[in-house]
Amino acid sequence: MRLFKNGRIAREETPDLLDADVLVDGDGMIFRVGPGIVAEEGVETVDCSGCILVPGMFDLHVHAREPGDEDKETIATCAEAARHGGVTGVVLMPDTSPPIDSGNLVKSVQDIVSETSSITMMQSGCLTRGREGKELAGFSGMVARGVPMLTDSGRSVSCANLLRRCMEYAKDFDVLVTSFCDTPSLTRLGVINEGEASYRLGLPGIPAVSQEIAIARDLCLARYTGVRLHVQQVSTRRGLNAIARAKEDGVAVTCEVSPHHLVLNENDVGDYDTSTKLDPPLQPSSDCEALVAGLADGSIDAIATNHSPHTEFEKSAEFASAPPGVAGLETGVLVLHDRFVRNGVFGWDVLIRSYSSRPREIVGLEPVSIREGKRAEFFVFDPEGETTITADYLRTKSPATPFLNQTLAGTIRETVFVLG
Amino acid sequence: MSDQADITTEEILSPEGIERTIVDLAEQVEKVCAEGDCAFVGIFTRGVTLARRVAEVLKGKGIDCPVGTLDISLYRDDFDNHGSDLPSLESSDVPFALDGTRVILFDEVIYTGRTIRAALDGLMDYGRPSTIALAVLVDRGHRQLPIQPDYLGVRVETALNQYVKVRFREDDGKEGVFLVTDNE
Amino acid sequence: MSDLRPRKDLLDIEGLSREEIEHVLDNAAPFKQLFQRSVKKVPTLRGKTVLNLFYEPSTRTSSSFEVAANRMSADVTNFTISASSVVKGESLLDTIETLQAMRSDYIVIRHQAAGVPGIVAKHTRASVINAGDGYHAHPTQALLDLMTFQEVFPDCAGRKIVIVGDILHSRVARSTSTLFHKLGTQVGVMGPSSLVPEGRHPFMKRLHDWNEVFDWKPDAVYMLRVQLERQEGHFFPGIPEYHRIYGMNADRIESMRRLGAYLMHPGPVNRGVEVTDEAMRYEKSLISTQVENGIAVRMAVLHWLKPQTDQN
Repeated sequence: MRLFKNGRIAREETPDLLDADVLVDGDGMIFRVGPGIVAEEGVETVDCSGCILVPGMFDLHVHAREPGDEDKETIATCAEAARHGGVTGVVLMPDTSPPIDSGNLVKSVQDIVSETSSITMMQSGCLTRGREGKELAGFSGMVARGVPMLTDSGRSVSCANLLRRCMEYAKDFDVLVTSFCDTPSLTRLGVINEGEASYRLGLPGIPAVSQEIAIARDLCLARYTGVRLHVQQVSTRRGLNAIARAKEDGVAVTCEVSPHHLVLNENDVGDYDTSTKLDPPLQPSSDCEALVAGLADGSIDAIATNHSPHTEFEKSAEFASAPPGVAGLETGVLVLHDRFVRNGVFGWDVLIRSYSSRPREIVGLEPVSIREGKRAEFFVFDPEGETTITADYLRTKSPATPFLNQTLAGTIRETVFVLG
Repeated sequence: MSDQADITTEEILSPEGIERTIVDLAEQVEKVCAEGDCAFVGIFTRGVTLARRVAEVLKGKGIDCPVGTLDISLYRDDFDNHGSDLPSLESSDVPFALDGTRVILFDEVIYTGRTIRAALDGLMDYGRPSTIALAVLVDRGHRQLPIQPDYLGVRVETALNQYVKVRFREDDGKEGVFLVTDNE
Repeated sequence: MSDLRPRKDLLDIEGLSREEIEHVLDNAAPFKQLFQRSVKKVPTLRGKTVLNLFYEPSTRTSSSFEVAANRMSADVTNFTISASSVVKGESLLDTIETLQAMRSDYIVIRHQAAGVPGIVAKHTRASVINAGDGYHAHPTQALLDLMTFQEVFPDCAGRKIVIVGDILHSRVARSTSTLFHKLGTQVGVMGPSSLVPEGRHPFMKRLHDWNEVFDWKPDAVYMLRVQLERQEGHFFPGIPEYHRIYGMNADRIESMRRLGAYLMHPGPVNRGVEVTDEAMRYEKSLISTQVENGIAVRMAVLHWLKPQTDQN
């Protein structure tokens, strides 16, 4: 048994923190929550003075690269990285080699997960066979295995008619359709947002309308078919506004944003730094402001890091050729605390709502909270500490992050979670 | 005499002394120049002034010698040792045919001889003079190459911690030849 | 007192101070002077190695650098790596390691990806000269353009130049406009909206057609090459239409003549696309001067940059 003493509990319902001790039993269940718990014999006391106990986060958009690209990351190292970042559950993307487009492949990943992962991991399935955007994948087998969503992850289904059919068919299974929104003919050769930064750096640009058009299209189709839709990696104000209007209109749509798109803008690309090369690309700062406001007021449902490990070798290529994407699991909470919670832009309640409760709700899981009788699934956060993000600090196999060598306010001391 | 920290300066030629020496140099070269096909080439910066002044004196005697200018920065053998200096280049100007000409090179001071060697290389990339002679205002000794002036103003014995400063009014706003000692 | 410090690399124009720019151009004139001699060489870089590393084909720029290096008596090696021979997976870093082992003093690099010269510069001791990286920069072109312009207009502050054509893809436009702007020359741009991006440098004044160009009374018009390969990006309907609307044809040459404006072009020209035969015969064309100055500028740049040695 472990007694987490003198800490404060963060909750979704209110920004206020609750002074309370938490007693966790040997099976990882929360035995008691309350002030002034006395440690009996055999109970390890963990001094949480000054610290905050935060319900474990849930990341809807994670690439663990297994099977196929184990050089970059494995399910085991991904789980380690997640725990290290206060994340106790993730949805794995199906863009592996081979892509996860059948029940058997889902099962093979689930087997690896149960053998090697220390956190909850759900495997999503492809919308189209092989992620090629030509034919429907076999939904029933995947849904039978419990996939929480179907997505071609990183690719938009460019044929509108095919996407429509995917949605209609998915509706029968009541499975969530998740869209990565871009318009390939506009994205083409682009590697950065089309605007002043792309001109200054002489890089081919992707106009923001590429994502906005795809969002608009997918919203129309979702309205038309009645399917539940989740939009990945919203990056612009206009895209967000379209989603907010669709919600008002009764469309069953949710959306996510990555911490990177909240705190970085296109001018952070600087000297061709590939750790700022993302898909979708970083936008002007006015979009960041709109996204932060959207997160605070709930128009954005979820935070999802799009944790995308690539080897150092790959990220060392010139900007135009380097693959987009960076590791995000270990820096998400820290960056959000450093930039927003610490400064009062929004509180722990918003963070928990958007990175813990709502994401679980979206995939049909119960939210996690620190209450008697529930499984212990939280992390101990020291807001007065500091974390310097170095390759040594990071547990991911591929430590490419735009926050490398930055010191962020706060420390994640420990993630308390034992899988049932 | 002026002192600055550990540096002492001594005048070795006054403005009048310079004028006398230049007249003397002009007399030395007069015979050759009078024979014709002669040209002066001054090495930037003060070698040019020296050449022009000598030419001026000869003109007074009815002898016309054209004056060209030569920047030898690109021919120096110490390109890597500039350190943090960024040398500025001048445009060389040799507005006469060199082939068959008797050239007299002018520089205000000769020391190791390396500058003159570079000047010889530079000059010969312009053409093929029939002869090249050397006229110098001050020879301060310490030669590192087998190069000697054919026409000399004054010889001054110097130590290695000394250097000769020539100042012309056209280039520096004042006149005089000074021996500077670095006592550090 | 001068802040002029030796620089290892020349990667772009943005990082150059006015002092540095003036220093290089002041030194370029004496180099140009050398071309009139029968011996056009000087021994300054004798024993030094210059590596021309061209990932994109370019006979014009590579030969200009080669001539410049040869005239400095340097040993030149040309290395053209075509797209097909770059094996996927042979990374830039691998190539850089090879370059380091070759111990060149100078590397002149042209690459289709912006930022590559900077990466090479970071990882080698050699002085790296950017001969063009993607759409980003072409600093020696800008310097030779300014040198050419200043030979006619020593007072370039307050003068006007219009760049016509594919502003979007042109590293020449980016570097040359930045340099002219630094020296106080006003820069206008003209071309189809598909090729004149909204995100361009704010000082590039938008002119919409030839009438606006000539009403603005520029001192020089700088024609950009339009690449025929742009067709698949659907930037304009076709060459004949582009030529009709944007080309420097006989009528426009007449307007140039009346204004006394000079014609410039980075080369190579596409006759029948952005220029006509008449344009190429225009008496106030500076195009061949640009080529000559290119060699002088590149010699001055080789003279100015200092590779990293064990001492520094």
